[in-house]
Amino acid sequence: MRMAVKGIGVTGGFGCGVADLAAALKSGESRRAGITVPSAQGPLQLPAFRAATDRLEEFAPRRTLRRIDHYSKMGLFGAYLALQDAGMLAADLSRVGVVIASGYGATATTFAFLDSIIADGDICASPTHFANSVHNSAAANISIMLGAKGPSLTVSQFDMSVPSALLSAHRWLAEGRVDAVLFGAIDELSDLIGYLWHRQRGARSSATMAPLSFDEESSVIGEGAAFLLLTPDDGGRGYCAIDAIETGSIYRGSLPLPADALFVLGADGRSEFGARYRAALPGGSRVACYAPLYGSMPAGAGFDLACAALILQAGAAFPSPGAAGCAPEGTATALETGRVCALRFADANEYAAITLSPL
Amino acid sequence: MTHPWPVAITGLGCICAAGTSLDACMAALYSGKRAPAPSSRFKSDHPTRFPVFEVTGFSEPPGLLRTSALGLHAAREAIADAGLDPETLRSLRVGVCVGTTVGSAMNNEQFCRDYRAGLDPDLAPIERILRSNPAAAIAREFGLTGPCQTVVNACASGTDAVGLAASWIRGGICDLVIAGGADELGRITYNGFISLMITDDSPCKPFDRERKGLNLGEGAAMLVLESERLRHGRSKEARSFLLGYGSACDAHHLTAPKPDGEGLRYAIAEALSCCDTPREAIAFVNAHGTGTPDNDRVESRVLADLLPGVPFLSTKGYTGHTLGAAGAIEAAFTVACLERGMVPANAGFATPDPELGGTPVAACERVAGSVALSESLAFGGNNSVILLGKRGSA
Repeated sequence: MRMAVKGIGVTGGFGCGVADLAAALKSGESRRAGITVPSAQGPLQLPAFRAATDRLEEFAPRRTLRRIDHYSKMGLFGAYLALQDAGMLAADLSRVGVVIASGYGATATTFAFLDSIIADGDICASPTHFANSVHNSAAANISIMLGAKGPSLTVSQFDMSVPSALLSAHRWLAEGRVDAVLFGAIDELSDLIGYLWHRQRGARSSATMAPLSFDEESSVIGEGAAFLLLTPDDGGRGYCAIDAIETGSIYRGSLPLPADALFVLGADGRSEFGARYRAALPGGSRVACYAPLYGSMPAGAGFDLACAALILQAGAAFPSPGAAGCAPEGTATALETGRVCALRFADANEYAAITLSPL
Repeated sequence: MTHPWPVAITGLGCICAAGTSLDACMAALYSGKRAPAPSSRFKSDHPTRFPVFEVTGFSEPPGLLRTSALGLHAAREAIADAGLDPETLRSLRVGVCVGTTVGSAMNNEQFCRDYRAGLDPDLAPIERILRSNPAAAIAREFGLTGPCQTVVNACASGTDAVGLAASWIRGGICDLVIAGGADELGRITYNGFISLMITDDSPCKPFDRERKGLNLGEGAAMLVLESERLRHGRSKEARSFLLGYGSACDAHHLTAPKPDGEGLRYAIAEALSCCDTPREAIAFVNAHGTGTPDNDRVESRVLADLLPGVPFLSTKGYTGHTLGAAGAIEAAFTVACLERGMVPANAGFATPDPELGGTPVAACERVAGSVALSESLAFGGNNSVILLGKRGSA
């Protein structure tokens, strides 16, 4: 069964909504901000891609949002935008499933709960922070706010969260358990996540991400939410189809990849995975990479899928930001192929290849 | 490619406070033994020492989270029970689907304490978390090539992992899936549940009038789910069959079940519909039965309405609430009870509560029939149900 992408809802460093992402793809520019995190050496200024949720109030009254944290707000905003884009904001969602993929979950609230214990002792543990720190809090808030009463799933598989979760979304649709799936990838940048990124990857020498320079460490941490409204391909309108989801681990041999696809790479400037992309890609492959528009994060795989959908809708590959020799700003090149493959590697052996094509 | 219901279960493994193997657990359950006690592994400055159900005589290797080590222990037992060896597993398309609540959370308390104190803490605890994703840890240990999924649906995670694994088999994605749940006890969940005021300061009493809340526990259980093509090819008899899976969201409240149990009703109906199983075929229900006032009220009323007269029990009186592992542990117990034709007493139950929809099994009881339900209700309003049949039920 092919899945159809009927709607896209995104918020990230480039802005929010399909129009902002499409504009960023055309221009190759994003609005990178930063984060200041405490450290033993004093406040650290880190480059980062931040996501705004202030427009969420266009969809939900402020009073209903006051106890919802930034992680869930990003998810809610992405969900509303995807429904709006699909023309389903007023639809009955009783047979809609919710599938969320997150590498790290609600990190700010998780750390706030720990802070409540560390600062004031065990008896002052915050029940509100605890309830909102569970990984499925965003899925729960989305279901509550939207009245989505179908099955709900949250997957946390670090870098492979998105392809793994997409596999289950596909199965729900194939089995007829639901009519549609609101599929979202969310990751949140908190002080501690920023600090950990800095400790693990070191100080950045360059402010520009260059993920196609595979051996160079150029990651910049990001946050955001990327949602897709998925249905079985019913022959109707939409962005594109998702034809196949291959994910697992490979220990020997080569990965079977489509020879004629444009590869949208999940490379995000982390140098430890660069060699795996270089080794896996068939000779002469056409590649693109858009992480410099939204940053490095496990949920980046969701943004890769949104970009792939926009490529297929436009019939054109957008230039890869930060890539040496990329097409001039504002130009896109004809796709020349009917397929796009979103390719991602993680750990020493994990892979995911998601193939998309026009409807 | 579509594989019809049911899906065969050919191996089981379990570790929890009741025992370090499924057989040991069942012996404890049937004998009524339980020993909740204040944690020996961590301290708390709460004036009350709330009892927990710890796994004793088990230690994790230094490079792995206890959650993943518990999961691996259960997986080894399940794989051996299925008559499989690592070399055979590597020749198949094997997936791993594991539910957890803490196994992928970046919440090392000591690291955060040190960071907050202005230090540059050692990264080893964080690296251990990143190495210990429960599904990935099992896949890595056995060199498995299929998809991996760590389900974080709070207390329904283990049940959902089993149901999703069946879907992978049915979709032809895998020949075999190792599915279950794993969770460890720790200060974070301990303090969190106490802060919600749903923790009992004495041994928990599911479905009892005097129930005050849950006791936390830890453990893991794994099930080997197998395609009929593989099972027949190796002439392996099924130990049980997964006859259905249903799940639905209340869309009501972050931490409380919907009073009318709407999501649970839908989940039960969906699970029964997979094989068109009639309600009268159900021998017993292994309920979620946490011992919290809200859960037990809603769950018992739904059961009284949908499955009147069907015996139900909670096994959390023997294990504590093992959170993301609970659904898998209870699935393993359900299969073992079907095999033995007997359910244990609902530990902790003494006094009927007129507000509930019925009373649980009060003493070890013979059950007739070959089908049973196992239920999980979770934070976020998730309700998940699996329907299990004993060998020969398919």
